[in-house]
Amino acid sequence: MTSSTGSLLSLENLGKRFGSLQALEGVSLDVRPGSVQCLLGENGAGKSTLCNLIFGVYEPTVGSMTFDGAAWAPESPAVALERGIAMVHQHFSLVPRMTVVENLMLGQVKGVLKRHEFGARIRDIAESFGFTLDPDSVVGELSVGERQRAEIVKCLMRDPKLLVLDEPTAVLPPGEIGALLDICRRVADSGRAVILVTHKLAEIAKVADRVAVLRTGRLVADESMQDADMGELVHAMVGRELKPLDVALADDGEAPAASRPLVTPPKLALVCDGLTVHDRHGAVRLDNFTLEIKPGEIVGLAGVEGNGQSELGMVLAGLLRPTEGHFFIGGNDLTHAGAAAVTAAGGGIVPEDRHAVACVTAMSVAENMFLNKLDRFTRFGLLQRRTLNAAAQMQMREFDVRAASPEVAFSGLSGGNQQKAVLARELTLDPLVALVAAQPTRGLDVSAVEAVYRQIRAAARRGVGVLLISSELDELIAVADRITVLYRGRLVGERPAEMSERGAIGALMSGQVA
Amino acid sequence: MTALAFSLPDRRRLLGMAVPFIAVIGSMIVGLLLIAASGKDVPDAIEAFMDGAFGSAFAIGASINRAVALSLVGLGFILAFRANLTNVGGEGQIAVGGIAATALGLWPPIANLPLGLAVIVPLLGGTLAGAFWGGIAGFMKVRFGTNEVISTLLLGFVALLLVYWCVQSTALLRQPQTSSATLPESLPIADAVKLPGLTGNSESPLHIGLVICLLLAIATAIVLQRSTFGLRLRAIGLNELAVRRAGMPGGILLVVALAIAGAFGGLAGAIMLQGEQYYLKTGFSSGYGFDGLVVGLLSRGSTVGVLAGALFFGFLRSGGISMEIMAQVPAALTLVIQGLIVIAVAGSVILVEKLQGGR
Repeated sequence: MTSSTGSLLSLENLGKRFGSLQALEGVSLDVRPGSVQCLLGENGAGKSTLCNLIFGVYEPTVGSMTFDGAAWAPESPAVALERGIAMVHQHFSLVPRMTVVENLMLGQVKGVLKRHEFGARIRDIAESFGFTLDPDSVVGELSVGERQRAEIVKCLMRDPKLLVLDEPTAVLPPGEIGALLDICRRVADSGRAVILVTHKLAEIAKVADRVAVLRTGRLVADESMQDADMGELVHAMVGRELKPLDVALADDGEAPAASRPLVTPPKLALVCDGLTVHDRHGAVRLDNFTLEIKPGEIVGLAGVEGNGQSELGMVLAGLLRPTEGHFFIGGNDLTHAGAAAVTAAGGGIVPEDRHAVACVTAMSVAENMFLNKLDRFTRFGLLQRRTLNAAAQMQMREFDVRAASPEVAFSGLSGGNQQKAVLARELTLDPLVALVAAQPTRGLDVSAVEAVYRQIRAAARRGVGVLLISSELDELIAVADRITVLYRGRLVGERPAEMSERGAIGALMSGQVA
Repeated sequence: MTALAFSLPDRRRLLGMAVPFIAVIGSMIVGLLLIAASGKDVPDAIEAFMDGAFGSAFAIGASINRAVALSLVGLGFILAFRANLTNVGGEGQIAVGGIAATALGLWPPIANLPLGLAVIVPLLGGTLAGAFWGGIAGFMKVRFGTNEVISTLLLGFVALLLVYWCVQSTALLRQPQTSSATLPESLPIADAVKLPGLTGNSESPLHIGLVICLLLAIATAIVLQRSTFGLRLRAIGLNELAVRRAGMPGGILLVVALAIAGAFGGLAGAIMLQGEQYYLKTGFSSGYGFDGLVVGLLSRGSTVGVLAGALFFGFLRSGGISMEIMAQVPAALTLVIQGLIVIAVAGSVILVEKLQGGR
């Protein structure tokens, strides 16, 4: 361990226990001013817990912290903020209907509002860290990246000595990640310290000065970036030999799509015929979208986020009526049939927004995993909890959903386990004809990503037609049979899913029609 | 946080019971001070209250009958509330239940039915009428997105005016007008339609409404805790989008939830009419719907809480009426005291949560 002289924040043997769960144990770490400290770890490794201890959300069970030369035991985030630690959370806390300047004034100003002065300050701060932010734009109309920058400015206005970013890149489209990492660098160069929590290795290489790895609550690596070896970091993170990311993305050795033995398809799995969606303001979000997916086929839908993917996902889930066009699952027209009919016809849906659409976080894991099949566990109207929990236990084993028991709250699961549970629920539909998975690996760690791909491929081999909507091109190339590209709501092209097509697909995604 | 909570269950429970209890006693003392301040004799008032609430078999029976009506509305409320629906239309649901029960009870073919059907059919009629009334609000919510707080409340006013119309118009339920002194009321229902007494003691008005209420309370507890339907209500209350996504008929669930809440209100109306009033008159629901709503809210979703709250309010109401008659304590003052108690209980619940919560 390095000496603590010259460090801004140092953690000494920090531990946190929640009931019977030891979330963190014996963590000692030094964060120096002017540096970017990356915190790496799988979902559930304790990264968020550590941030929350530093930020005063929780109190540590054991251990001590020092910050800026004094003992650090903030009783609340407000105190932490006051004394120089600011945090950007995974979920933003901005009011969508208000402008950036109004949002940032909340809680920071009293009495008379001086919009212009405040707006100018926002602009100045953004500029001094090398980006732009329009203080008068309405937050709801900003992209995710812009919203995040607003959050960062909100933190920087307090002139913190330490800025903590909890998984900031998980929500960003690929193009915006680089810009965020630049901002991190500039913040560190201004003499502040930055703690960047992530599970994406590539980002660390770009920006970190030091990297620490957490695994099941313990610090298993803590080194300077110059000494770090990517392979070793992966190993430290997952605790077992795992193929590095790009290998994990590749096919799992099963027969490639073309030579897959197919049962002659009686019907197409999923057909979209001229789907068009206009939003409330009359803007075209999805424009004459037509696509056919055969049983056993995995079709990737590439595109930068916000080009109509969300609308398409909602339409296919039966939650949004298209303005025009039809879609069919297994030959049934489900355009106006609603979500229940989509499920009944064998349409498995992995929604983009896990918390809002896929699950009821306050209910148990078992209840969530069988949310669409509760009738199976009902006798005389009563829910057979024992049978339900036993079935959930089996399915959790099968799909590697890790939770203390089927009865724990869904919200207690890590993102990867939540996604695996949702996938389990949708893939065990009977019959299952088509699967629509939207951004299914977003925010997941390496091993969870691998598990999700494995399940999707296995479903395709069973004859399920899969539409994989993703903004990660590498993911699509690895998993899909062919890749179609969505740009401004329109299908602009189709390419084979091959590495050599990367450039061509990228060009299509950015609107340069090939 | 959880570790602390699990290690101290006894202290937690004690705190959870002691604080509301102290709060109620406190607000009652404030109430007595108010009575004293209004120049009334406090011992007289207390005596009148006790007489009216517990003083006789009649008093106790009447109090329990009041509690039955309040419980039913409260049970309906917590069922719908499980789906995050706030039914504030209990008053109107009681009213339409009462209208239906009166109409059926006054219709000779039904009043002459054998085997107790003369009692049962009007009860069911009232229940269905209430379910229809609640269901309208549910339909409006699902179809047009109308907030159920507004629709149930406004439908309540419509129902109260319906009662007025019914008893004003001889073409509907008003008794035949034989003189200018004929009151705007319906004819009394026949004995065969009245709810049978429970005790056999003609002094006690206690009727089988209590049995019906207890059975329904047990059924409600089972539905909420054990049934798939209860789980679905909870799910849709927590995340409607996810429930629809998972292929449950979300809209139907919401309509059914409000219809059930309405059915409980309608049944309460029918029981009030067939058990005690025996004829329909304007304002016969006299605030039971709103008191039942309070009972439901204070119970925090617990069936036992509804029963306890309803009993408390039932006795309070009887005692209050008696205070008004015997000790000349204005009815408004009773309402003030009732309001104080509601605030005290609600406030103490928040306080208990804060004390137990921590971080």
